[in-house]
Amino acid sequence: MTIELFSAMAKSVIEGDCQNSASLARAALLGGVPAAEAIEKGFIPGIREVGELWEAGEYFLPELIASAEAMKSALAILRPALSQGGPVLKEGTIVIGTVEGDIHDIGKNLVAAMLSANGFEVIDLGADVKLPAFIEAAEKAGADIICLSALLTTTMLNQRKLVELLVERGLRNRYKVLVGGAPASPKWAAEIAADGYGENAAAAVRAARALMGKG
Amino acid sequence: MTTLTILPSKRRIETEDGRLLGDCLVAEGVDLNLYCGRRGICGKCFVEIVSGDVPPPEERERVLLEAKNLDSSRFRLACRFRLNGDLTVRIPGPALVSKTRILSTGEGRTVALDPAVRKIAVRPERPGLNSPHSFVEGLKTALGRPDLRISPDTLFSSAAVLSRPSSASGAVTAILGDEDELLGLEPGDTESRLFGLALDLGTTTLVADLVDLADGSVVGTAVGLNGQASFGADVVSRITAAFQDPAQAVLLKEAVIASINALIAEIRRKAGVAAEDIYETVIAGNTAMSHLFLGLPVDGLAVAPFAGLFSVAPPLPAGRTGLDVNPAGRVYLSPNLQSFVGGDICAGAVATGLAFRPGKVLFLDLGTNGELVLKTDHGLQAASTAAGPAFEGTSISCGLAAREGAVEKASLRDDGTIIVETIGAGPAEGVCGTGLIDLIAVFLRRGDLARDGRILVPGKKLPFGGGLALSAADIREFQLAAAAVKTGIRALLASEHLSAGDLDEILVAGAFGARLNIVHAEEIGLLPRLSGNRVKFVGNTSLEGARALLLSRRERLAAEQLVREVRHLPLAQNAAFQQTFIESLAFEPWPARDFAAPGKQEEK
Repeated sequence: MTIELFSAMAKSVIEGDCQNSASLARAALLGGVPAAEAIEKGFIPGIREVGELWEAGEYFLPELIASAEAMKSALAILRPALSQGGPVLKEGTIVIGTVEGDIHDIGKNLVAAMLSANGFEVIDLGADVKLPAFIEAAEKAGADIICLSALLTTTMLNQRKLVELLVERGLRNRYKVLVGGAPASPKWAAEIAADGYGENAAAAVRAARALMGKG
Repeated sequence: MTTLTILPSKRRIETEDGRLLGDCLVAEGVDLNLYCGRRGICGKCFVEIVSGDVPPPEERERVLLEAKNLDSSRFRLACRFRLNGDLTVRIPGPALVSKTRILSTGEGRTVALDPAVRKIAVRPERPGLNSPHSFVEGLKTALGRPDLRISPDTLFSSAAVLSRPSSASGAVTAILGDEDELLGLEPGDTESRLFGLALDLGTTTLVADLVDLADGSVVGTAVGLNGQASFGADVVSRITAAFQDPAQAVLLKEAVIASINALIAEIRRKAGVAAEDIYETVIAGNTAMSHLFLGLPVDGLAVAPFAGLFSVAPPLPAGRTGLDVNPAGRVYLSPNLQSFVGGDICAGAVATGLAFRPGKVLFLDLGTNGELVLKTDHGLQAASTAAGPAFEGTSISCGLAAREGAVEKASLRDDGTIIVETIGAGPAEGVCGTGLIDLIAVFLRRGDLARDGRILVPGKKLPFGGGLALSAADIREFQLAAAAVKTGIRALLASEHLSAGDLDEILVAGAFGARLNIVHAEEIGLLPRLSGNRVKFVGNTSLEGARALLLSRRERLAAEQLVREVRHLPLAQNAAFQQTFIESLAFEPWPARDFAAPGKQEEK
């Protein structure tokens, strides 16, 4: 019975069905399934598979967004139940934004949605974000990772500047820095001494999990 | 009251004695060729006086009549003739301004020849003991231009021609720029040798037309590649190369100048025209290209809010640009409308006469940036979307620019096989933008490709012959490019509370292939569907517009007016942008009534 419920949960996320994922989450709580178990055995496997389908070229942006939304609906119902004594689902806290001088933010929004769907707490600062604002938000939230998007080769330079700013402020070891965006690459991430690189939303989730030691 | 009868139209008008015949004719809409500016110098506006009083010719007129073998009892210069009593005139063909057709494809329009540079042959009176005027004063008198402006450079370069002993004819040819400026002086009568160059300065491709400014005809065309490619394929990578590095900006300038000069050399060789005979050049390129052509910094274009240095550049002495044309000539840049809606789009608007077309018209140029201009009764509004280089083939695994060997057309046979046609009809080496649109339509029809972009055949490849195939990544890349364009169209329509069905016309420009299959573009949802051939492919309007700007000063004024008129629609700040973009990714035909219905947009 529970196994069927779990696979239905995964399916609702894979199909990007918000209503179904929400009612399955409610059904789990009513049926006495622990929220943590519903998330970890039901919904998370679904969103993982979505990541795989994306990387296989089967899923594209619309499917990815629908799945992230379905995940969000389920988590909105299950999260409050978690905090009542049980283990807290939190992969980590991430501050994310598109760097100063750059106004492109669709890619960043997708990464934020997928990180959030995969259990991260995500603080999205938007686009054209001044570099000190990333650090201030990270300090305030006690974040683990700062995630920087840039879509232009010119604004990409601000990813390097943020790493330098962290060093300058003596905070380099407190945060992991994850970079992405069309012009970025693993080589670029290494060059600027960032901690990770995500080529797309699914890869960013993998990289973030790896940075949290949960690869 | 004087009656003027105009032949061959037989139109009669009532006018006043004492008026200039030329002015009356122009006021009546006759395209009279007033080349020398009503000074009675060029002899182009001779009309035949069929009946009425014919006063004796002026001295200069007499010389011109003789030179042109015209009957001195009947022909007079309209620009010098003052009405005195009823008159019947016949306007011969040569007295009319030549008109040139702009746009080889789509709806062409004609442009009346009125170039900024003109040549006028005169015979200045030689200084004599009784009238020891200077050579320059003699020239000014002969040209009928007491206020002729002469720069120091021109004085030096013209000194030898001015002062040398009179040739047999005594003729010299003055090259006049806008506002009565002397650009140069040539010995003898060289009026018939005056050429201009129109250039489409693309990020990838350069196309040039060499134009005979005597009649507006194109005497040669050449196509080449932009040598800046070694600094990066797309505009952003060029901007990046020059960003905060003036020395690099100079290298980029040198690269493109070398490419243009190679093109000029080729076109001159084919047409047999000397570099010195090219006095006017018009260049239409995007904002970054026009800045880099001048070697100006592009730092403002590199980061938000993306500002160029100039919209309208002053016409430059050609000698300062490094182009292999007459250094005394001028180079005019098609004005940039906004940061990423550049001179190429302005030229497109000029070529299509966008501002003057009736109804609601959408103009779009499909390139690395999908640039859009919507003309309605409320004026013009432009937007730019980052489509990426898919239409130009750069980001496609088997993509090519629209050059020889590129598949530019594909269709499906009844037996399900795909037929491709390449530019130059040789073997297929890759696919250009128009071919890509065709192929996607064909694969959709055949059921190999789902509307959401998934490849449905085993192996996840879409072969189209010659060992070439589209990959899943290619399809995704194209979806992103098409969605960017569709989102821009939707945002523009929404801002005017319009649906696609409200449009009277859609004009599609682009240098990504010669033949865009409109039906295919509609089938894959790239373009809205309008009934009855109202979606038109108008080709390389950047080049055609550059030619219009070369031929006519009036077109330049119209272009500069666009800079003031065209409003900018920012897309990235639009709250609905992402939602619209995601919805636009599928290969679905444009909805009959889209979600641009009034009241559903503009949430800020």
